[in-house]
Amino acid sequence: MKSHISIQDVNAFYGDHQALRNITVEIPQKQVTAIIGPSGCGKSTLLKCLNRLIDLTDGASVSGKIIVDGINVLNGSIDVTDVRRKMGLLPQKPNPLPMSIYDNIAYGPKLHGKPGKKEMDEIVEKYLKISGLWEEVKDRLKSPANKLSIGQQQRLCLARGLAVEPDIILCDEPTSALDPVSSQHIEQQLLKLKTNYTIVIVTHNIHQAMRLADYVIHLYLGELVEHGHANEVFENPKEERTRAYINGTFSIDLKIDSEANLKGKMCPFNFVYAKQALHNLEDGKILKIIVDDPTAVTEVPRGMEADGHKVLIVKEINKTDWEIVIQK
Amino acid sequence: MNIRKLKDAFAGRLMLAAALFSSLIVLLMAIILYLRSRPILEVKTLNDLLLGSIWMPFQGKFGFYPFIMGTLYVTLLAMVIAVPLSILSSIYLAEYAHENVRTKVLPVIDLLAGIPPVVYGVWGVLAVVPAISYIAPVIGNLGIPFLTVKGYSTGYSLLAGGIVLAIMVFPIIISISEQVLRAVPFDIKEASLSLGATRWQTIKHAVIRIAYPGIAAAIILGFSRAIGETMAVLMVVGNVPNIPSSVFDSAYPLTALIANNYGEMMSIPLYDSALLLAALILMLVILFFTVAARLILIRIERSMAYG
Ligand SMILES: Nc1ncnc2c1ncn2[C@@H]1O[C@H](COP(=O)(O)OP(=O)(O)OP(=O)(O)O)[C@@H](O)[C@H]1O
Ligand SMILES: [Mg+2]
Repeated sequence: MKSHISIQDVNAFYGDHQALRNITVEIPQKQVTAIIGPSGCGKSTLLKCLNRLIDLTDGASVSGKIIVDGINVLNGSIDVTDVRRKMGLLPQKPNPLPMSIYDNIAYGPKLHGKPGKKEMDEIVEKYLKISGLWEEVKDRLKSPANKLSIGQQQRLCLARGLAVEPDIILCDEPTSALDPVSSQHIEQQLLKLKTNYTIVIVTHNIHQAMRLADYVIHLYLGELVEHGHANEVFENPKEERTRAYINGTFSIDLKIDSEANLKGKMCPFNFVYAKQALHNLEDGKILKIIVDDPTAVTEVPRGMEADGHKVLIVKEINKTDWEIVIQK
Repeated sequence: MNIRKLKDAFAGRLMLAAALFSSLIVLLMAIILYLRSRPILEVKTLNDLLLGSIWMPFQGKFGFYPFIMGTLYVTLLAMVIAVPLSILSSIYLAEYAHENVRTKVLPVIDLLAGIPPVVYGVWGVLAVVPAISYIAPVIGNLGIPFLTVKGYSTGYSLLAGGIVLAIMVFPIIISISEQVLRAVPFDIKEASLSLGATRWQTIKHAVIRIAYPGIAAAIILGFSRAIGETMAVLMVVGNVPNIPSSVFDSAYPLTALIANNYGEMMSIPLYDSALLLAALILMLVILFFTVAARLILIRIERSMAYG
């Protein structure tokens, strides 16, 4: 595994708030690296450090080194436009520029040189084809980009990023605003692109990470919890927190056999009701309960484990309510 | 319970009445101005009035052309000075300035909008007019079109009016454009920068594209402010009814004409009527620009709503 981006001892602050702590990790070349972790753990911040978009945030500061092709990206005296050019960015929400489809793709190449009309036509066609959008838009290249569907806009953003000929593609939850079909489309493009590009993708979706990633980085509260080859991390995480995170996100797919709403019930009655509900189930079946009593959040799982049941998930679902999933 | 409902209904009616009243006043003003300027409109053709360039009330000659041109020239000159400077300032404030700078500078700029025009006028007389009379001979002899001096310049000139007006218009254009620029979604800047554009390229090619209707509206609002401004202008512009051919010439805008003469020598036939016609012309011009600004603002809101 050849390293492409070497992140060394990176700390990032927003004012006094530390968003990244001593991150040291290597990102492999021409592979897909997924950054996973719960909301607010610093995934986007790490991505923004790579292309220095974090400079745009007032009060943000970064220390450490990020070496790409022998150059420290975080060095204040380098030309950031060169750094950013090397890294195409695919954002969470497609952000077409306020111009035509054609001009969106042509925007980058125009900044960095003045290709002639014919050359530009070729560039536009080439990258629209790579991103799988050409067939859909070839007859209306001059129409405004924001008239495309969201999924098409995202592929346009991909094509636009590729047109400046980067080596690296950074994606920040690139499919979270898309419908399943468009998401799949983007995923397929990324898989094709990894033969030529180093891809870093931030994702909330563990399944997506499993489908795409060769390498995984797990962040938690600004710290690097675990990193390694995807199959190792997913099948046999070294860290308990990684296991919990992966299981926690899996929960969405658990087959819930029975549900009980125990809101408004105090301890120990909620425990009693939960036990009763569980009593009616066969072994191995899964019960989900909703509680809003703060003590229940810790006491019910503890009691259930003591009774020999397995607690799969304890999750805050909104300000007052918690969800507890128990397997008999 | 019923009292609350009653109060509610009453408050609603009251506000409706207030709204109607203020729009009614504008209408009434226009009607009265029209009625009072009827006498002169009955004896002279509109052509004579609007395009005649001789203003000799004693001989019954009322040509408004020099005044209309005076108004347009002084306003245009003010805009030529104000627009580039204030747009560059607003770009600096919105895109380059640090938060600390912005939060300190913007209130000062807003303060500038609150200074009474007469203070600007005095400042113009004390600072701008002498400075112009000082530089006029130097520049005036270079033979640059619109910058020539015939004889000598007192400094009371189109240029003095333009500069003073420009400074009065600054705060309007700066604060609106700054808001418009800052409302441009961060996404757009991110997209452009991540493609390796510099900040300036980003502003020039992407940000301005989104902000330009808003900036246009700011300019139009500044324009209607400038065109209606009276006191500061009449103090520095010289008030000679000729058609200026150089920025060092004096001019005589419509507003100054009305303010200087209304209430005096009213025994001259048609004089009163002529001045009120001047007011009507001014009002129509301003109305035109205000409506245009409104329409543009509506268009911006639409384009934002429909993306
Ligand atoms: N502009 C900012 N100013 C201050 N704090 C910020 C700013 N942006 C992010 N943070 C904080 O830094 C931490 C990391 O944020 P970041 O956006 O990197 O999280 P994330 O992992 O991308 O989360 P999500 O999955 O929700 O996108 C969070 O605690 C967040 O509140
Ligand atoms: Mg994020």
